[in-house]
Amino acid sequence: MELSPIEESAGKPDVLAGRPTHQRRNQMKRRVAFLLFSAPAMAWFLIWMLWPLINMFWISLLRWDGLVKKSTFIGLANYQRILSDVLFQHALRNTAIHLAVGLPAVLIPAFILGFFLSLRRPGFRTLRFIFFLPAMISVAALAMMFYGIYMPEGILNAMLRLVGLGAWTHNWLADPSTVLGSIIFIDIWTGIGFYAVLFFAVLSNISGELYEAARLDGASLWTILWRIAFPLSRGFFGVATMLHFLWILTGAAQNVLILTKGGPGDYSLTLGYYLYNQAFVVQRLGYSQAIGVFLFVVGLVGLVLIRRIFGQTD
Amino acid sequence: MRASRKSRWVSWLTDGSTPFIVGGYAASALYALVVLIPLYYVVVSAFKTNLTIFTQPLALPKTLSFFNFIRAQEVAVLNRAMLISVGVTVGAEIVTLLLAFPAAYAIARIRTRLAPLFEYIFSLGFLIPALAMLVPVYLMVVKLGLLYQPVSLVIFYPATKLSVTVILLASYLRTIPLELEESAQLDGASRLQMLLYVFFPLARPGVITVLILNFIDFWNEYLFALILLNQRNRTLQIALTIIKTDRSMDYGLVSAGIVMVVIPVCIVFILFQEQIVKGIYAGALKG
Repeated sequence: MELSPIEESAGKPDVLAGRPTHQRRNQMKRRVAFLLFSAPAMAWFLIWMLWPLINMFWISLLRWDGLVKKSTFIGLANYQRILSDVLFQHALRNTAIHLAVGLPAVLIPAFILGFFLSLRRPGFRTLRFIFFLPAMISVAALAMMFYGIYMPEGILNAMLRLVGLGAWTHNWLADPSTVLGSIIFIDIWTGIGFYAVLFFAVLSNISGELYEAARLDGASLWTILWRIAFPLSRGFFGVATMLHFLWILTGAAQNVLILTKGGPGDYSLTLGYYLYNQAFVVQRLGYSQAIGVFLFVVGLVGLVLIRRIFGQTD
Repeated sequence: MRASRKSRWVSWLTDGSTPFIVGGYAASALYALVVLIPLYYVVVSAFKTNLTIFTQPLALPKTLSFFNFIRAQEVAVLNRAMLISVGVTVGAEIVTLLLAFPAAYAIARIRTRLAPLFEYIFSLGFLIPALAMLVPVYLMVVKLGLLYQPVSLVIFYPATKLSVTVILLASYLRTIPLELEESAQLDGASRLQMLLYVFFPLARPGVITVLILNFIDFWNEYLFALILLNQRNRTLQIALTIIKTDRSMDYGLVSAGIVMVVIPVCIVFILFQEQIVKGIYAGALKG
């Protein structure tokens, strides 16, 4: 897109003589204009996004037990504490379970449903609308909704009794054996439809002729799904995996915060909620940020791994 | 038209792909049901008393009573929370656009080596999880003396959406073919005029898309609204979770609250479904 000098001067031969300085002046002008327009946004971004991130690393090196108390530099002691903290290990285990269950339970059904939608059979528009609906509901509303589903007199138990499975009823959020699963299910409930619609968007770009050719060769739709549609949208499958990975790692903490606060005991304690708990409940600011750094590093390593597995995007 | 439609029906009934199609419909219907039943439960519960919610959870309400809505508003002072939610959302939208549009214009349209660098720095924002910034941002807001002031959210929210807004707008602006500014003689003032009178009107569809996407995120935000505001100045999202703790088991109240909180976003979703899906998809691709 860079203009050649000839094109640039074509309309104004009068400035031809002093072109070198003129050009430089133009470049300066462009640079000044560029900064004039973009510096406010960049400054805002650096101050409220990058600076907090740097601060997280710094605070993780402090002992700081509450806002009104003085902070002291203690080096890596918070990280040493992580190694011997039993609660941290439980949170790590719960987060690992959440990832191991949540990622495949969302992305594989979502891809199959997205492929089905992309065949544009009658009714696909209605289904697409319904599938995307949960993603529009705020975390707070969603958590309150699931509170009503899981409570002892809630709809889940009512429906189990209705179909004669009264023995399966639980106090879902208070029972150690069901609480983590109940938290994980919320993300599965919203995630499948959300990613199905995104996969639908990506698969709609694949030409129908490719499918037709495969059909003529006698391939079933199931074969086409895994042999043609999946390889062609592999990159985006990776992007979706990254998004959901980051959500489970950090965003999902909000469900724990609203519904269980990690309880009963520490049966639903996740790393994301543990960060919040250490910062705003126990007021161990330094330690909470060490957990934050750990999460951040796990997030980056995860992103690199996922990118490796699913190849370059775009 | 009718004939081709009919032959399509006939062909998919007979072309050997039927098991997959039937299975696809069955799976879709099952998931749709799993999505719709809880939503239905919340909507009907909003019009029922706690007793009927517990004894007949799936029954339609006998009368259309707005009792729960009125009481929910009383218990959690929802109209004040609504006012604060609207103020914060509108304020943050305006700040975001004022910051992001000129930046997107500069990145898309001013040829300098800084442009790709800035775009790269903005794209790093996708890697920063909100949770990681929670404590540092809280401390910054305390230092500025803005704790418990809704304006703190108007200042902070735009930063979280600048990355995606700038990058989506820039990619939209690149699709506008325009040779006007190629004379390369523009200074800041004439560029500002061009931005206001040429690019902004042309970029309206792109601007509307980012406004809608940011509306959903600002309206729905929970975590920072929780720690940066207090009881008096809470947003709707926070007020909603208060209904539960104030009256521990009154699910009619909670349902009425959920309906009130969710309705604005649902209306926007019904009106702009295409833009929302396309925008989120494009945003995911850039990340």
